[in-house]
Amino acid sequence: MLTIEKLNDFGADTQEGLGRCYGNEALYLRLVGMIPAEASFDKLQGALQSGDLDGAFEAAHALKGVLGNLSLTPMYKVCCEMTELLRARTEMDYTPLLEALLTKRESLAALCAD
Amino acid sequence: MKNYMTASGIKRRVLIVDDELINRELLGAMLSQTFEIETASNGQEAMMTLTQPDANYSLILLDLMMPVMDGFEVIERCQRDEVLKRIPIIVMTSEKSAEVRSIRMGAADFITKPYDMPEVILARCERIIELSEDKSIIRSTERDKVSGLYTRGYFFAYLQRMIPRLEKPMDALVLNLDRFHLINELFGRDEGDRVLATIGELISEKLSELRGIACRSESDTFFLFCERQQEYESLMEEMQSKLAAFAKSRSLRLRAGIYSCEDHESEPEAWFSRAKSACDRIRGQYGSLATRYNNELYERTVFHERLIGDIDDAIHDRNFVVYFQPKYRIQGERPVLASAEALIRWIHPELGFISPGEFIPLFEQNGLIRRVDHYVWRSAAEQIKRWREQYAMTIPVSVNVSRVDIFDPELEKKLCDILDEFSLTPDDLMLEITESAYADSADRLIEVVNSLRDTGFKIEMDDFGSGYSSLNMLTEIPIDVLKIDMQFIRRMLLDDKNLKLVRLVMDIAGFLDVPVVAEGVEEEEQLNVLRQMGCDIVQGYYFSPPLPAERFGALIEQECQKRGEASC
Repeated sequence: MLTIEKLNDFGADTQEGLGRCYGNEALYLRLVGMIPAEASFDKLQGALQSGDLDGAFEAAHALKGVLGNLSLTPMYKVCCEMTELLRARTEMDYTPLLEALLTKRESLAALCAD
Repeated sequence: MKNYMTASGIKRRVLIVDDELINRELLGAMLSQTFEIETASNGQEAMMTLTQPDANYSLILLDLMMPVMDGFEVIERCQRDEVLKRIPIIVMTSEKSAEVRSIRMGAADFITKPYDMPEVILARCERIIELSEDKSIIRSTERDKVSGLYTRGYFFAYLQRMIPRLEKPMDALVLNLDRFHLINELFGRDEGDRVLATIGELISEKLSELRGIACRSESDTFFLFCERQQEYESLMEEMQSKLAAFAKSRSLRLRAGIYSCEDHESEPEAWFSRAKSACDRIRGQYGSLATRYNNELYERTVFHERLIGDIDDAIHDRNFVVYFQPKYRIQGERPVLASAEALIRWIHPELGFISPGEFIPLFEQNGLIRRVDHYVWRSAAEQIKRWREQYAMTIPVSVNVSRVDIFDPELEKKLCDILDEFSLTPDDLMLEITESAYADSADRLIEVVNSLRDTGFKIEMDDFGSGYSSLNMLTEIPIDVLKIDMQFIRRMLLDDKNLKLVRLVMDIAGFLDVPVVAEGVEEEEQLNVLRQMGCDIVQGYYFSPPLPAERFGALIEQECQKRGEASC
């Protein structure tokens, strides 16, 4: 089961995230638990694979919003970087960034499933 | 008048538009304590929600980047719509350029992502709603210029919108000033307006605490609709002391009537008229500044409404029953049955016996007494005819002619039609009028009485001495009988003044050369005193209570026997 301690170890700014939920721990953990299943991860991956930078930007931007709101800092940071690069339509290999993001997602999913 | 808009007893509706469920949930959690929250996951859904017939949103929180229809298009569409463009939009974005663009398009404000702490977001939403509502009110000049409160019309329109969303028990208050007209008269209109403005400010200051709305209804009457408070005395005392510090007049007093809105079924106007009646009740009573409209008062109102509603059935089903109280001549060897007075009784099929003291003043107030009177005239006439056929004796019956009847141009025709219907003469139906009719309109009364007497009717002055007695009236109105108010008779043996008054009325009657009827005679001693004084006719429980027609018939029968014996 997901706990605040686990999230702290994960690197999330749980204090800030909880603050947005009026300190409601159950709500916060429930919302964080929805992250691994976020459809935008797959959209981002698919768009990047097909070279659709606009689609990738939209997905990254959307992810950035929710990750930021839940203060999942390690993922949020990667997402911000990708969003800015995609916004500028930078032609580059996004695989390392995407991998980094997806790895974090995997570990978050593992925390949830624990 | 700050903050009360978001603080008044309703939950405003906010639409959150975001494609991310997590964001919608987060914002929902932040705002749902204060607002009623609806959500949409894209622009198209948002437009559908906003154009529902019962949609009534105070704010839209709008994400910009969404599939199907993005936030910019939502702003554009809202701006094109006369109704929707009044709803303020706060955009949610992390892009600087988008902020500028959306504000140029008409958004009211923006919230950045990641979101600020909930308190900040909530405050922002409240501020934007308040600004927008203040703006719309200023735009449509919905404020009373003198007091700065709402106008009556806007107040009720606003209240109607609040009703479906009320969650807490509410009270309707009517505030009114004692002696306000004196301020205008003594110090001029400007001072009067200054007092009203001060009261407006005092009420405004309290609105956010009371979570209410207020208006000036008319002149010096203010309406306040707010969450129910334990008591209002302290509020009124506080306002009173502040008002006293402002106003030139010391005797100025602000009082409040309170109606607790238990059901939302009756019309808001009715709540305030009940509060008003409570407020009127303590006019000029220096002890109390606030009073609640009590249930007793409410039940009376309901009871009265019921009586008014049932009058048709009562006439149709003959639930009104006419009783007859005998009048005896007392100057001869033995008391002689001379005539009767018709008295109405209401035997209601569900409510049972209803006292005339309950329904007659009520029907006098609203004019329905005319129908009751007419019913009594007809019933009495019908009975006179029946007795005449049964006993070959005519018992003249006195009937009441109310104040409002005097103003009925058809009065005489109606009476004559009844006489014709039952083959009677004007002598048979004696008409009782009260001196209060003289106070209303002396000229009219004189004219009507003269005309009725010319036709042959006998006019009895009822309850003489009870109210507005004027000797002048007696010289102006030609009457045939003077009836002394029963209060004097009842007290005349207990109190010398009353006895003297009765004697005085006898003297007046003697001077006018008309007979006197003494009502309310209950004891033999009273009868003897009256006989000695020269009183002609007596009515009261000493002889008989008012009786139903059949039982009165027995008295006529007795009278016939006695007359028969005497003539033997």
